[in-house]
Amino acid sequence: MDLGLRGKNVLITGATQGIGRRTANLFAEEGANVAICSRSPESVNKAVKEMKVIADGKITGAPCNIKNKEEYEAWIEAMAEELGGIDVFIPNVSAGGGADSEKNWWKSFEIDVLGTVRGVEAVIPHMEKRGGGAVTMISTTAAVETFMVPQAYNAMKAALITYAKQLSQAHGEQGVRVNSVSPGPIYFDGGAWDMIKISNEKFYERTEKTHALGRLGTPEEVASCIVFLSSAAASWVTGVNLVVDGGYTKRVQF
Amino acid sequence: MKVRRQQKIKRTAKRQGAAGTPVKPAPKPNFSTEMIPKDRYTSRDYMQREWEHMWTKVWLLGCREDDIPEPGDHIVTEIGPDSILLIRQKDRSVRAFYNVCQHRGNQLVHAVHEPQEAEESLRCHYHNWQYRLDGRFFDIPDLETFPQGAPPCGGLIGLPCDTWGSFVWFSLDPDVEPLLDYLGIIPEHLDPYHLDRMVLKEWKTVEWDCNWKASVDAFNESYHVQGIHPQLLYYLDDLDIQIDCYERHSRYLIAFGVLSPRVVSPSEIPPPIKVVMRDAGMDPASYEGSVYDAREAIQKFKRKNGPKQGRDYSALNDDQLTDDYHYMIFPNITMNVHADDLMLFRQRPHPEDPNKMFFDYWMFELPDNEFDDEEYKRPKWRQYKHGETSLGLVINQDAYNLPFVQKGMNSAGYSGLWLGDQELRIRHFHKTLEDYVSGDTAKPRTKAGS
Repeated sequence: MDLGLRGKNVLITGATQGIGRRTANLFAEEGANVAICSRSPESVNKAVKEMKVIADGKITGAPCNIKNKEEYEAWIEAMAEELGGIDVFIPNVSAGGGADSEKNWWKSFEIDVLGTVRGVEAVIPHMEKRGGGAVTMISTTAAVETFMVPQAYNAMKAALITYAKQLSQAHGEQGVRVNSVSPGPIYFDGGAWDMIKISNEKFYERTEKTHALGRLGTPEEVASCIVFLSSAAASWVTGVNLVVDGGYTKRVQF
Repeated sequence: MKVRRQQKIKRTAKRQGAAGTPVKPAPKPNFSTEMIPKDRYTSRDYMQREWEHMWTKVWLLGCREDDIPEPGDHIVTEIGPDSILLIRQKDRSVRAFYNVCQHRGNQLVHAVHEPQEAEESLRCHYHNWQYRLDGRFFDIPDLETFPQGAPPCGGLIGLPCDTWGSFVWFSLDPDVEPLLDYLGIIPEHLDPYHLDRMVLKEWKTVEWDCNWKASVDAFNESYHVQGIHPQLLYYLDDLDIQIDCYERHSRYLIAFGVLSPRVVSPSEIPPPIKVVMRDAGMDPASYEGSVYDAREAIQKFKRKNGPKQGRDYSALNDDQLTDDYHYMIFPNITMNVHADDLMLFRQRPHPEDPNKMFFDYWMFELPDNEFDDEEYKRPKWRQYKHGETSLGLVINQDAYNLPFVQKGMNSAGYSGLWLGDQELRIRHFHKTLEDYVSGDTAKPRTKAGS
């Protein structure tokens, strides 16, 4: 099956590590032109350099703090210009979890929610110009089932699922598909579950057993779903929330 | 994944003023790397020699000064087979005595580790012999029925006793050197913490099924963090540690609020470092820096906000605001000294069995502005068996493991301790111990490593 991503222009925010990085790698391997960002210029340069090795298309990136609206919009415009338009947008940056103070709510709102909203509003005109495109948001199973503690991360990620659905209705006519992916617990070195595995092995093992498939997911397994939903292979899929969790959550999704 | 990141802990190069804790590394001792024979941990014969040549020759921590604040207040502490009575005097000094009535040998005070009050005298409950606070006989009922008169000793048998660092110390050796000579560098190093300002939060004893030295060893090296305490790899650097061995005592300085080089940096601030931030009064959610700058940020925050919180850090250097300055006072005190708290462990030998010990756990905290003197209730001491009480996750992890160490040491398939450089303090400890137990002189005068 050809994903039809060769020559497509993909923007991913915060793609220097974790799931975002694996997603960027996969787009690059599929022949897409990929633009990434991160707050630190060193990590952007390093990731771009590493991705170029596996890429057929153009790989670029620039430092950007997506909390800053002007800086963020300028990054999108600069990347669009450099690649010659935008076909796919993956708003990936997240403030992460934490229940320390009210500040966690502001940060999650600013980074996870506004970081998605502002990005979407800036990329949609570019997609319209090209007759369509795909936005794939990153939510979490913590949005659809009770998880850990009541915290901003879970609730703000839930907001993205609703937002994606509504966007899919509003922009279908312009050929823009909007979906979300909700990963369950994902293991990678330096990830939150790496820390849990080292700090609390028993809890990690219990969590593994909770999965129908008996283990934690890999970032590559999430990346492939993001890339699929963002590709022409999913041309008839819009407004869905794809739960990618190896059977970690137990609800029935009608 | 096995990780070993390159990491160098930034350390303060200068002490905090002339009265600050010295920070310069001590000269590296050159101990032999030979095996430490296991019988020091398992044999009754060694235990006996240890008692005769070491326990009865050193200074020992008896109680906290505020256990017995007023004249007449007294407390009993136990060491090995003996029981020691510490009494606050009218002149506010403290005296130590063997806790035994000179009549028929009844223990004068039966309650252990329980502060008691007295007016003028202490009374033996067997035949009502009474002793003054300074130990002299006060009243012997029916003295006329003792044709030989009162015992010539004149009262309780006294022992050397002194105070330092908010603690009362005693020695079973009547000819022991002065306490401050024995403590050596310790007062200069720890006085800046003003331990007397800290209040007791927890105080208990747990009987553990291991030799007392197995417990001391567990607190004298950080090599076991990656084995027993993996969660601490997101809290401290277990590899870049400054180890300093002095005459009898030793210390190591461990940076807290950092990642171990053995783990990959997570994208979020690890929960244990968030706890350090919260304890300092910082909001972890508002911290925008990287995990690598967290320790310094916490130090700066505490330096700036400490006085407002009612905490005086003026005599402490920046590292001391986050790090663990861990001291070992020979033979049996291991202490995690922090700006805001002191975790003090006293390891006592069992009276008869080298395979058992008593682990005394004291937790002290520096009060802040919110501390309410009137609300504060001093915790009462209690003794437990292993497994009956929690000492917090980290100590529980050690406590769980130690009985297995002791059983293993008793195995015919084990000969002794094979120590690496990360365990230098254990070597130093054994050298000091051997200077007492096998040395010609009861009081070692050799410098570490010479």
